[in-house]
Order: sequence, then structure tokens, then C-alpha cells
Amino acid sequence: MKGSSGLTGTAALLLWAAVLWLVPAPSLGAEPERLYELPRPGSYQLPVIDRVSPHQLLDESGETRPALDLEPGQCAVVSFVYASCPDAGGCPLVLATLRKIDRAVAVRSDLANRVQLVTVSFDPERDTPERLAMLRSHLDPSGEWRFLTAESRAKIDPVLEDFGQDALPLVAADDGESLGIIRHIAKVFLIDSDLGIRNIYTTSMLDYEILLRDIETILLPGAGD
Amino acid sequence: MSIQSLFSTGVRSAAVAGCIASIGIAGYASADETCQSPYLPKITGQEDFVYIWTLGIEGVGDGSDKLVTVGANPARADYGKVVATLSVGGRHEAHHGGFTDDRRQLWMGGLDDSMIYIFDVASDPAKPALIKTIDDFVEKTGGVVGPHTFYALPGRMLITALSNRDGGGKTAYVEYNNDGEFIRTVWMPKGAVYGYDIRVKKELNRMLTSSFTGHDNYMRNLPDLLGDAEAMKNFGNTMVVWDYHTREPLQTLEVPGAPLEIRWALAPEHHYAFTTTALTSKLWGVFRKDDGSFEAVELADIGDPAKVPLPVDISISADDRFLFVDSFMDGMLRVFDVSEPRKPHQVYEQKIGAQVNMVSQSWDGKRLYFTASLLGNWDGTPGEDPQFLKVFGWDGAKLTPAFEIDFRAEGLGRPHIMNFGQIDFYKGRVARADTSGRP
Repeated sequence: MKGSSGLTGTAALLLWAAVLWLVPAPSLGAEPERLYELPRPGSYQLPVIDRVSPHQLLDESGETRPALDLEPGQCAVVSFVYASCPDAGGCPLVLATLRKIDRAVAVRSDLANRVQLVTVSFDPERDTPERLAMLRSHLDPSGEWRFLTAESRAKIDPVLEDFGQDALPLVAADDGESLGIIRHIAKVFLIDSDLGIRNIYTTSMLDYEILLRDIETILLPGAGD
Repeated sequence: MSIQSLFSTGVRSAAVAGCIASIGIAGYASADETCQSPYLPKITGQEDFVYIWTLGIEGVGDGSDKLVTVGANPARADYGKVVATLSVGGRHEAHHGGFTDDRRQLWMGGLDDSMIYIFDVASDPAKPALIKTIDDFVEKTGGVVGPHTFYALPGRMLITALSNRDGGGKTAYVEYNNDGEFIRTVWMPKGAVYGYDIRVKKELNRMLTSSFTGHDNYMRNLPDLLGDAEAMKNFGNTMVVWDYHTREPLQTLEVPGAPLEIRWALAPEHHYAFTTTALTSKLWGVFRKDDGSFEAVELADIGDPAKVPLPVDISISADDRFLFVDSFMDGMLRVFDVSEPRKPHQVYEQKIGAQVNMVSQSWDGKRLYFTASLLGNWDGTPGEDPQFLKVFGWDGAKLTPAFEIDFRAEGLGRPHIMNFGQIDFYKGRVARADTSGRP
């Protein structure tokens, strides 16, 4: 690979590890100045935007399992990333935010064991189960957080299509050489137990406090009363 | 150290941005298509095509509304030519439209019968294809009429409207998912029931709406309407500030004279927006105050308000320096320097034609596109009724003509809203020096 390109897998993981290690836990973190008030859980509507289908993918141990496995009264936060992502403001920011959700939910008796975090790679050729296992160990989740990939991109594409997640490999305009970079808008999906998409976030406005309030809004009737 | 400041130190360069954070993260300067949703991928560089939603004229060509694709890249053989036309059959008062958040679909609306046409512009950007028609908008939305602004949100489309079943101006905005399925209707609040445009400032979690008039008025002949004092009372005089996340109306601002297009300043730290009032010919600013609430401030006249120039479309430059203002009745472009947003001043003016409505700006601010049509029954009020696309270069001080197309002579119709397309965007082809991957 010549010219500018995506970071190599190891370098990217090291970058992510450094970033994630430095990102403080919610109780310690100094958040960016928030220029708006947080919504009161349950005071607003999150109508179903769309519904997704069940999908079978590979987990970080290489086992095939359902991408989502929700009981009534549970929800999932689904993100799509790739481990070679060189943009700290993209995929690493998504994972840093999800780690905050993981930590925050774990200490909430009314939410613990009710929120599944699911991270799916759209770069399965490079993001093998072993690589995702490394990522998982870096993140050291407190609750349920599954990292999923597939045997091939062709097996991920239907999942991307179902969720409406774009992921386009970039090539050099002059000779068509792969640049190792996948263009995508990093999206996070809040999914209810009926597989309804209740909200979609992008990294341009990915505020874990809002995501947490959305989780409370759909899981806790009367929340905020 | 905050996450964002952490992320903006040392790791951000032109070579390290394949994972798109949309736009607006601190430290990232974007030169984008200035008037699109912040949730929409931007195309950098030269646009290849401009898609023009065009209202049919009886006796001109097939007389039907159509999507017209025009070559816009000087390096291509189709530059300045009509590349494709796709007629949807019939006249629906073709007006506005917009891309979905993945930029693969272009949704176009009809103000008269509330039809919505969804075009695939990704599979072949040179030849859009009609893939879906929404013909039950009024029924599904609970009586909303006249879809106007189409504004991409993640996975869904936010659509404002102008009217309702009774033909008046009480209206709503609605949401559809990207598959074209209805999600919800949010009616405008008491005391501010009219609607027109909608725009999000994501850094503030705020949304602004503006207000126009209902079906009875916008489908009427303009001179007749202007002479009907009772009907002229039925125009909006308000803007509403919303909590974007909860869709809760927070504040109603008095902005007399039908405030139309809204443009938030693009820099994340610029907490203000501009609009113009059609009937009173004023430039207004909406500014965030220290307490987080907003105030609307009258800033300047646009031409001579006594002559009712009827300001219509506006466009803000990517650096928040210029505001381009079209006025319909005198066919003028006026450019305001809005670097000091509370003290804008006009720096340039140019007559575009006998009438002019829409203005669109390229990603780099070097090219400006103008179309003539406002509404089927309002066109021609200035005395002539030319129907054109005119394209100019902009060097920061003046316009230089590039090309124009006579939409009557070409048998096309009344050209209205314009959106840009690019082949390389959909193929993932980028220059090696620009592997940001950030549309």
C-alpha cells in the first residue's frame, strides 16, 4: 500500500487502546461543554423508525450466534465499526461512548442485565474473531457486550443493508488501488426487544447521557415521573 | 481532558479519517455543500451533475413534472448539457426535495397534491431512476398537505409541510424512514401554526422552523392574492425553536412577513441562523443568548421593501462569511457580508434574470447555480416568465457567467430546487492526497 492509507491493524488497535485507556469513566470524566439540557427520561417519544431482522454472525470466539438475543424488557445498542479505522473521532469515539454506557448500566440495578451492547465489524477480512477478542479485552466490559464479524464481507452486507449502515471501501482515483479505508458514517442504533429501531445516533451527536436517557425511556415506563 | 479535545490532538490529519464522524467535531474544518443537512455526507470537489426538480408547463415538452439532470463538470463532455430527464407524469407543483442521509436517494415533493417521488441517484448518477412513489402522504400523516423541505436525519427523512386538508396554513412536520414508511407527525404549536423550512443545529440540540402560507394561497395567482387583504392575513409571522431530540417546541419568535429559508451558520461555535422575510423584505438573524434561549433580530433591508422584491432562497458560504440572497420580483442576487452576524452589509448585487428563485452553491463556494421558478401560478408576475438554469463562477467578489439552459426552449418546464451529484462519490474514488473519506 502506497501513499496515505488506513493504519495497519496493530497500529490502529494500539491507537484505540491508548485512546480508550485515557478516556475517563463516566464518574470521573470531564465532558465537553454541553450547550443543551438533557431530556427527562420518559418525557418524550421514541417511535419505531424501522425494524431489523434476525442475523447470525461470528462472535469473538468464532462461534456462530444471533446478532441480537433480546428478551422482553431488554434492549440493545448496536454499533458498526472496523478495527483499522484511523479516525479517532469515528469508530474509537463510538466504542468509547459505548464503554461509558457499559459502565453506567452496570451500576444501575434497574438497568443491569437489560442492555446488550453489540459491535459488528464491516471489515471481516481483517477483523477476525481473534482481533475482535483483542479489542474486547482492551474494553474489558462490565456487562454483556458482544463483538461480531463474519466469514466474508458478502455475509455482512445483508446486515448493513438491513440496518441502513453505509460502508464503502475507498480506492485511489488514479489507479483504483485499495486504500484500506472504509468510508462510512459511524452510526449507533438503539433496538428494542421487538427488533424495532428506536433511535439512530451518529458521531456528530453521540452523547452517552442522551443515549442513557433514551434507554431509560424505552425500558422504564414512568421513568422521569 | 474531554474526549473530543483528546481526539483532536495529534491524531487528526488528512490521512486519518476513513471513519466518518459526519461533520462538526472540534478541529475539523469542512467546506461542504452549505445548505444540506449536517447528517448528510458531503461531496468535496467538482460536482458532475446538478439534479433539477422541474415543474411541467402545459404545451412545453410533455407538460409533466420531471427530474432533469444537467452536466456540471467542465472536464466532462456533457458539461452544460441536459444529460437525462425523467418525467413523473402530470403536474404536482414540483417544488423542493432532498437526499437521504446516505445520499443514495433523492426525495422530491409536489406542493399541490402532496405526491412524493423517490429517485435512486447512486446506481447511475448520470441517470436517476424512480424507485418509489408515496401517494398517500395526506392520509398517512393525518391530514398534512404540501410537503416542502426534505431534511436528512440518520436513517430517516424529516419533511415540513405548508398546509392541511382545509387548505389553510395550519400544518406540521413529519418523519419517514428511508424505506418510505411513515413514522410520525408533529403539528406546529398554538400561536405558530404555519410551517415552511426546518434546520438542525446539532451542537445545540436545537431545531428552527419558519412559516409561510397554506394551499389556498400558494396555489393562487399572485397578483390576485396580493390584492386580497383578507387572504394576505393568512401568512406566517413566526419562527419556532425546538428541542431537536425531544421534538418539543421551546420558544416562538416573532418574525413578521413570512420568514422562509433558514440557514444556520456552519462553524460549530457560531450559534446563530439567518432567514429572510418574503413579504417585508428583511434579513433577520436568530441568535442564541447567554441563557440558552434565542432572540430574533431584524438586521437589514433586502433591496427596497416598498417595491416588494420578495426575497426567496438564500445560501450561506462554507466559511460563514457570505449570505447569497435571491429576490424573485426583481430577479436580483444580493450578497451580504455576514462576518459580523449582527451587522451584515451588502457587498455585491447582480441581476440574474427577469425573475429568480433558487440559488445553490458548490462545495468549494466557487460556483453558483440559479433557477427561475418560484410557484407555477406566481411565475411571470414580474412581467416576463423566463425559465432558466444559470451557472456562474464566484471569485469572492463577483459573478462570471459559465453556462445557462433555457428550460422552455429545451421543452423541460419550470426549474426549481437543485442538488448535486458526483460519480466518484458513489464509487469510493478519492485522490491520494485526500483520503479523508469524509463526505
